[in-house]
Amino acid sequence: MSIPTDVERFMAMGTRIELHRFGAAGADDALVAARRAIEAVDDALTIHRPSATTALNERLLAGETAPVDDPVLFDALVAIDAVHEATLGLFDPAADRRFAVAGWRGITFDRAAARLYATTPVAFDFGGFGKGFALDRAGKVLRAAGIVSACLSAGESSIAVIGEHPLGGGWPFAVPHPSDPDDSLVQVELIDQSLSISATVGAGTAAPERAAMLRPDDRAVITAPRCAVAVARTGALAEAMSTALLVADPDRADRLIDQDRANRFLFDLPCATARASSARMALQ
Amino acid sequence: MTDTDLDLSRRSFLDRVLMAAAGAGMTAAAPWAAIAAGTAATTSERIRIGVIGTGDRGRTLIQNINKTRNCMVAAICDTYEPHLTKARPYVGANTPVYADHRAMLEKGGLDALVIATPLNLHAQHVLDGFDAGLHVWCEKAMARTIPDCSAMVKRSQDSRKILQIGHQRMFHPTYLNALRRAKAGEIGSLTQIRASWHRNNSWRRPVPAGVSDRQINWRLYRDSSAGLMTELATHQLQVGNWFFDAVPTRVMGSGSICFWKDGREVYDHVALIYEYAGGRKLIYTSLLNNARYGCEEQIQGSKGTIEPELGRIFQEVPPKVLALQRMQKDVARGKKRAVPIGGATWFPELPVTTPGESLGWGEYDETMLQFEGFGEAVRANKPLPGLLAQAYAASVASLLGEQAMDRGEALTWPTSLVTI
Repeated sequence: MSIPTDVERFMAMGTRIELHRFGAAGADDALVAARRAIEAVDDALTIHRPSATTALNERLLAGETAPVDDPVLFDALVAIDAVHEATLGLFDPAADRRFAVAGWRGITFDRAAARLYATTPVAFDFGGFGKGFALDRAGKVLRAAGIVSACLSAGESSIAVIGEHPLGGGWPFAVPHPSDPDDSLVQVELIDQSLSISATVGAGTAAPERAAMLRPDDRAVITAPRCAVAVARTGALAEAMSTALLVADPDRADRLIDQDRANRFLFDLPCATARASSARMALQ
Repeated sequence: MTDTDLDLSRRSFLDRVLMAAAGAGMTAAAPWAAIAAGTAATTSERIRIGVIGTGDRGRTLIQNINKTRNCMVAAICDTYEPHLTKARPYVGANTPVYADHRAMLEKGGLDALVIATPLNLHAQHVLDGFDAGLHVWCEKAMARTIPDCSAMVKRSQDSRKILQIGHQRMFHPTYLNALRRAKAGEIGSLTQIRASWHRNNSWRRPVPAGVSDRQINWRLYRDSSAGLMTELATHQLQVGNWFFDAVPTRVMGSGSICFWKDGREVYDHVALIYEYAGGRKLIYTSLLNNARYGCEEQIQGSKGTIEPELGRIFQEVPPKVLALQRMQKDVARGKKRAVPIGGATWFPELPVTTPGESLGWGEYDETMLQFEGFGEAVRANKPLPGLLAQAYAASVASLLGEQAMDRGEALTWPTSLVTI
């Protein structure tokens, strides 16, 4: 018996989004509701048109206390607070080449008052976080609507799955070698997890206006050919972790990978030497 | 078509207009539509209309007046006898026929005028109509000059008579539905409209014996017309103003007689940019030697595009991710294999080939509805709200565009216009 499928495709978060649903379970309009959730994140977090984030940035750059009235932005800041710690401070949406001391550590987030205070001018750029966070919120909507099997993609570098693969077991994904499409850097299987890929090489890096990959504490721009892959329970963490791995110095890269060797991979290219033993095995 | 069929078709048309006009934000954007479509037209007390100008357009208008339930053609007038001969079959056998509009006005027995004469005559005919105590419906564009447009508006206000201008798209169910969907945010923030009216013919008509070229081909000469700007662009500039809910702040453009070098005085190629507040733009082109792109307004928003002439709405749908497509097919075949994924957060910008979806409601009879709305306005001595302001702005925009091309300068929107 064939498995019913349904898909919603649209542009958001500066990339193409695909929401694939499998099976008959769940509300008919679940995909549309999930799309609305992603668009709401886009509307709140974008810095490419007027948004709650651009309003927040204007206040922070002016050295003013900034209220966080938008609930989506508020939730994003809560999530960032968590993933900033989890990535040893290597994921930092407030890192800025223009300001020497800018960064998340210079910001006080008063959750009770829904306000941000910054000691220096600072501005947020939620690239490297937004897509994963958006998929989390879409996944929450789908689960609430009764969906039990779905695959969500934001620009192919951010994936989230709900439940098991429609044929059972995990969802298998292979991350191709950037310079050899017939070869894989790593293969992973996901169940109720998210996957994020960050790279300094490949098609994605040709995007116009792509921000430089910046190490937050010393503001070093990462230009060496690298690819990082992270799997996590949430898209927000996966996204932040792959970004953190990409910009990490060798010591912190090893520390992050050692925390979860089955789900974190960093490849120095073009020789594709993996830091994680599991990833090295995948290359053989 | 039987009377019953006609009734059903008419009812269906009016229902669609009412449905579109009931959308969020539509009461302010198209206040005239619901009033016109909701008119309880009766066969008694039809308003009596005298038609000045019975050429091709005038005869089309007469046929549409005949379809209404509250208007009738009570007299016709044209200085060119062959036009009157062609118009007679569309009016009652006893309908008075005139060669001089002043004689028609002096005779009386009319409630309103419909004017379908060459552009340079509109202003005089309209003012004469007001002086005779009549309401006036006039073809677009309003007049040959901006001061004449303003004089028409002013006289209408001073005389407390209706002045309605023929912009049928404002009554077109597809356009109304397009506006409703745009107002509902379906195509995001509107930032640009690309409008074009491209034809591949000379626009020149054969001149019979006994009349002058300037009488027949008045659209080709500057004393009587601004050519493409007043005869075609004015419709689409109205659409642009309507969807942007604004008038332009500035216009710049280039015009030329590029192909039909046959003694005409008006441009056969025009290209203009109308700027609106907030950086929005209407980019307009019209030409007479290539019809590939025809007549269209491409209303472009951050989430989609509406092409009302084509009757389509297009969402900004990206190309499919091939690997995920393969996964779908694998699942359908009961096959499971690794999905190659990753890296392409950006993709090349390719032409969109998606078919979009239908805006719906393609059949229409909007010119008839214009007259039913006009009839109701005349009976109530109260203009349909919003119509004249739209028409005035569209005519001013077309004439300002002509000036910008003639001078080779960017011109700002006039500050001396009459407030409506």
